[in-house]
Amino acid sequence: MTITVCHLYPDLLNLYGDRGNIIAFTQRCRWRGIPVRIMEANLGDQVQFEDYDFLFIGGGSDREQGLMAEDLTARVNNLRSAVEDGLVVLAICGGYQLMGKYYRMPDGTEIPGLGLMEHYTEAGDTRLISNVVVEAELGGIKTRLVGFENHGGRTFLNGIQPLGKVLHGGGNNGFDGTEGARYRNVFCSYLHGPLLPKNPALTDLLITLSLQRRGQDHRLEPLDDNFEKRANQAMVEKLLGKKS
Amino acid sequence: MNLRLILAVIVGRLAMLASRLTGRGRGSSLPGKLALRIYPDILNHYRDQPRKGVIMVTGTNGKTTTNNMLMGILEQAGHKVVANLEGANLMTGVVTAFIRSGSITGRVSSDYAVLEVDEAVFPLVLGWIKPDMVVVTNFFRDQLDRYGELDTTVKKVLKALKKLTGDVKLILNGDDPLVARLAVESGLTALFYGILPVQELSAGASYSREAKFCPLCGAGLHYGIYIYSQLGDYSCPGCGFVRPNPDLEASAVLEEETGIRAMVRGTDGHWEVRLPVRGIHNLYNAMAAFSASLSLQVDPQTALASLGKYLPATGRMESFRYNNRRVLLNLVKNPTGFNRALFALLGNQGAPKQEVLIAINDNDADGRDISWLWDVDFEMLALHPEKFSRFVCSGQRAEDMALRLKYAGVPVWMVDIEKEYRQAVDKVLNGKGESVGILATYTALWPVEKILSRQAERVKDHDDYSLSPVS
Repeated sequence: MTITVCHLYPDLLNLYGDRGNIIAFTQRCRWRGIPVRIMEANLGDQVQFEDYDFLFIGGGSDREQGLMAEDLTARVNNLRSAVEDGLVVLAICGGYQLMGKYYRMPDGTEIPGLGLMEHYTEAGDTRLISNVVVEAELGGIKTRLVGFENHGGRTFLNGIQPLGKVLHGGGNNGFDGTEGARYRNVFCSYLHGPLLPKNPALTDLLITLSLQRRGQDHRLEPLDDNFEKRANQAMVEKLLGKKS
Repeated sequence: MNLRLILAVIVGRLAMLASRLTGRGRGSSLPGKLALRIYPDILNHYRDQPRKGVIMVTGTNGKTTTNNMLMGILEQAGHKVVANLEGANLMTGVVTAFIRSGSITGRVSSDYAVLEVDEAVFPLVLGWIKPDMVVVTNFFRDQLDRYGELDTTVKKVLKALKKLTGDVKLILNGDDPLVARLAVESGLTALFYGILPVQELSAGASYSREAKFCPLCGAGLHYGIYIYSQLGDYSCPGCGFVRPNPDLEASAVLEEETGIRAMVRGTDGHWEVRLPVRGIHNLYNAMAAFSASLSLQVDPQTALASLGKYLPATGRMESFRYNNRRVLLNLVKNPTGFNRALFALLGNQGAPKQEVLIAINDNDADGRDISWLWDVDFEMLALHPEKFSRFVCSGQRAEDMALRLKYAGVPVWMVDIEKEYRQAVDKVLNGKGESVGILATYTALWPVEKILSRQAERVKDHDDYSLSPVS
């Protein structure tokens, strides 16, 4: 079976190296001999979200974010049914905010989100900019995720599950200690870096879930993750100290 | 007599002397920092002293090179110039430049001030000094976590320009829509330079294009040809915004082993420009400096003679020689610049195998977020494994760099992580490669250059270059 990856609006949302997430996902499939292909969906393209196995939504500058929200809102029902059916999604930063109910501006105006998940976001006075370490439980195993956050919005989960617990950095809103969000097979996070290359356990979980949704329930072949571990560990040690 | 000014100058001078004696730092920012602390209004004192005018160079890439080229041209033409060197382009660097050139009582006897100004502090500096000419090179993504997104930077520069009066002249890269918009929106007089879009040059077009949308109306831009990044021959189907007709345009671009040359057509003639440094991006820098100097009534032949012997500043494609191997050192700070540096490595025909050192730091001056490494097209390296013997990754983020190469498809056995600069430099100098390429971010560049210059000999390519005017 070929895994089909949908890179949403690659022309629009190419900030912060987030295409590294697509690179990491596809390379880790290829290195295991799992055929993978990347479909790019741009503004106005006909998209059947059901047909994809992995959807990536990144963030952009304000104008690009606006264009993306408008385009996705027009096809929200199509996306909602795919998500409810178990489509594997990774949404980063602006994409994460968009999955929720709204973004409230400093003057009180609310920009509606897609409403696929319960969280909401409010503009903050300052930007949270930092290297981040998050402790997350992925497939029953405790894992330390590392990345870099840079966001003005403060996101509140409103009852949904976080991706993990912040060990260093601001996270969702700077005070409740949570980072990111999970709902069905949707994974949301503020972490750039990009997120997937240095956190191979998360990447592999996304691949596993994509295969499971198509009825392929097998354990992934392990890979040599020496560089991945060293990059992850270097950041953990830098932020939490040598002994961690 | 202004005692506070004199004290500020003396303290600044002492700091300069101290850094020279101890050999620590280059003394290009600290003197200004101390002087500003003693006398925050110090630029008020200096700003009107240059007799013929103040020229500022801003943009994301090529500021240092353009600034140094322009300074060289003006000096060749017999003018006295105050300039900030070595990329010290924040307020502190500008103040240092004046302190260095002036007397103890703060008198500066110069014709021009040629100031490289960081695009993010440009509005701030403009609050102190009113330029007579502003050169804008380009707007590429740069150190996002420090300055916020590109849109914001461009808007701030525009807002600052709008506050200037009508007699200031802009020298703009017409091939960059984000720069060309400054003329339309500020209403100031502008001269444009550009490179004639020809198909061969667009081989370098890559992912990290910046402005895909019209900066004026938001419609998707159409491109005839890309030169690289968002530079090229663009037009907007929405509002009719197009690449302006250049006042100075280069064509017949020829890349050679030791430099680049091109034909340049202006309103009053045409010339051949020859540069002893490689890369289209350096041709852009030379076009900016040449445009500015023509506009300042410098004789074109004088300007071309100066460009023909231009020596790159530290880390701008600097050449060294070690045991008969050519070593190229280059600063990298954003995807566009990094891609240009990789093209230079791939274009190196003479050397079949190269050792490559990439040193990545994440201090404030480098940008703390290194995500941008994933916007660099390292995949092109994996397509030509035969050109490389090894990649050594160094600096604070050596592991991240190694990981990026792995995911680009470079075989893991070709990639070494060596966090210490000294060992890393030793490895590439004494490796199997027949030539060496070293790429480093800002704060990694100086220590690497220091280690390198102790072992390898600096090469001055311009020795074999002479001027050959056409008209």
